Amino acid sequence: MKGKAQLSDRFRDFDANLTTRPWIVLGMGLRKFNSLLTLKTWNGIGIWLMIAVVYLLTFFRFILFIEPEDYPCVDLNDEYQRCIPLDFYGDLLGNAGGTKLFLIAIAATASGGIIGNDMANKSIHLYLSRPISRLDYLIARFIPVFALLLLVTALPNYMILSSMWSGNGLETSWLLDRKWLIINIMLQGVLYSATYSIIGLTFSTLIKKEGIASSTFFLFVYGTSLICETFFTILNAFDIDEADYVLLLSINHLIDMVSYMIFDTKYYVIAFFTPWEVDIGTLELFAVFTFIFAGCCAFMYWMIQQMESNK
Amino acid sequence: MIKATNVVKQYGNLKALDNFSIEIPAGKVGILGPNGAGKSTFVKIALGLLTATSGEITVLGETLTKNTTEIRRKIGYMPEHDCIPNEMTGVEFLIEMGMVSGMSLSGATERTHEILGHLRMGEEKYRLIGEYSGGMRQKIKLAQGLIHAPEVVFLDEPTSGLDPNARREMLETINGLTDVSNTKVLLSTHILQDVEMVCDSVIIVKDGKLQMQKDVKAIVGEKSNFVQVRIGGKSEDFISELKKKKINVENDGRVLVIPYVDDSTYDYIIEASVKSKCSLYEMERTSQSMDSVYQEIIE
Repeated sequence: MKGKAQLSDRFRDFDANLTTRPWIVLGMGLRKFNSLLTLKTWNGIGIWLMIAVVYLLTFFRFILFIEPEDYPCVDLNDEYQRCIPLDFYGDLLGNAGGTKLFLIAIAATASGGIIGNDMANKSIHLYLSRPISRLDYLIARFIPVFALLLLVTALPNYMILSSMWSGNGLETSWLLDRKWLIINIMLQGVLYSATYSIIGLTFSTLIKKEGIASSTFFLFVYGTSLICETFFTILNAFDIDEADYVLLLSINHLIDMVSYMIFDTKYYVIAFFTPWEVDIGTLELFAVFTFIFAGCCAFMYWMIQQMESNK
Repeated sequence: MIKATNVVKQYGNLKALDNFSIEIPAGKVGILGPNGAGKSTFVKIALGLLTATSGEITVLGETLTKNTTEIRRKIGYMPEHDCIPNEMTGVEFLIEMGMVSGMSLSGATERTHEILGHLRMGEEKYRLIGEYSGGMRQKIKLAQGLIHAPEVVFLDEPTSGLDPNARREMLETINGLTDVSNTKVLLSTHILQDVEMVCDSVIIVKDGKLQMQKDVKAIVGEKSNFVQVRIGGKSEDFISELKKKKINVENDGRVLVIPYVDDSTYDYIIEASVKSKCSLYEMERTSQSMDSVYQEIIE
């Protein structure tokens, strides 16, 4: 009886000692990140395999065969440069031979069920009844995909950088002369990771079925890329000046354009194995990018809001 | 506990809450009404999940518009619908919910095992939720609402979809857990017996409007203090005889309802039937519960 009373007292007087919102959000994000990388699920195994492929490609395609003097950029001609950090994000079959296919596949696999599953089993109502806002919830679900993608975007690029630094005798002056590169690699990693995460989460929110959301996201990103490249090539063949703007409709090309801008390098697109010059103003580029980014965020927020009111 | 002033919630042309004003006292309070009365809407607004079209609402002394998310630290919520992930175990899910509420891993783990102990869940707490019965799923839903030791817990139709035994067990669990943790309760339901079994006071809502707010014991007490009489002959004479004794009679067409004061009430009734030459077919203390009160209000 005394034991029971003590148990009840402890239960009643329990001090939950709750932490602050930013820590709750960060904790949610990190726990989900951990669950994405679990080897207990097929998704987790798939993600690990694709990460391995990205690192193998990084090693064999970039670290092993790039001469330190060609890093980060070499001039192709008076106008164009070839930069390794940009090539890293290129298509596997393109001239650059990059890792884009796997990055998108990882993004698709990781993001497919991240909000959709919460919506499908309705546990989202329980999350939103906690001391977090809808925006906090979205950030908490963005963190794991974003962090995972940083592992296959910025991190391998820093490994290439480290390798090149090593090839240059680990001289501090070499690194200090390339401070801009350290920042640009991070900016580029954040750009690709954040964009693919946001779009992936949007598909997850819209479709609510993990497998279908993942494949639709993958097909959408690659499909629009191929369609836009086809139209771009046809329009260019007819010498239509506005052909470049077609590429703004493709997420892949849009991010590539911003990425080239980060490296202050003139953008060219390789469509059907042929390089084409692309000239789009900074304002148009950022307007479209901001529209897509903000549109996706607003859409997810709206979907969650609708779900709450409709139960 | 909760104070709502002129709260309106409109979905298009439909008013889910219509100028709803109420002051809900601390304790165990039932919010009762038919489906679509606005109960869940009120609970969701009080939780800050929905925004009222107009009006003001304060929960535990804090205005919702200013502290929408922070106030939820003090509130636990058990939704009506099934909303727990099948692919987690009971323990994993409760720890996750504790941590999403802001608890540390060790705190959430300790509390999880304590609550599950109170819920009498043994080894099954390590099983996947997908394998749980309806009653166990409801228990887990209740547990997640209490995991962070809230001051008040909002229970939305907690016995929905349960068989009578599971329902009774669920209500006993609610009573047990909230008593032991000293947690206030706002219970939204359309089942009268749930309110009778758990709550101290009740609010009846219909068409988004407050119909009645009263103490449960008072309602049950009031109604049981009547004597139901069925007579043959002229009821007017019978009623006038009783009025001479300053006893008011309520005639609902089928039976006469007479307030019970003490056992002498029976003597007055017999005397009145003799004097009015009415045959007394039936006379019994009513055992009407809240059911009749509810029906009266709803109809």
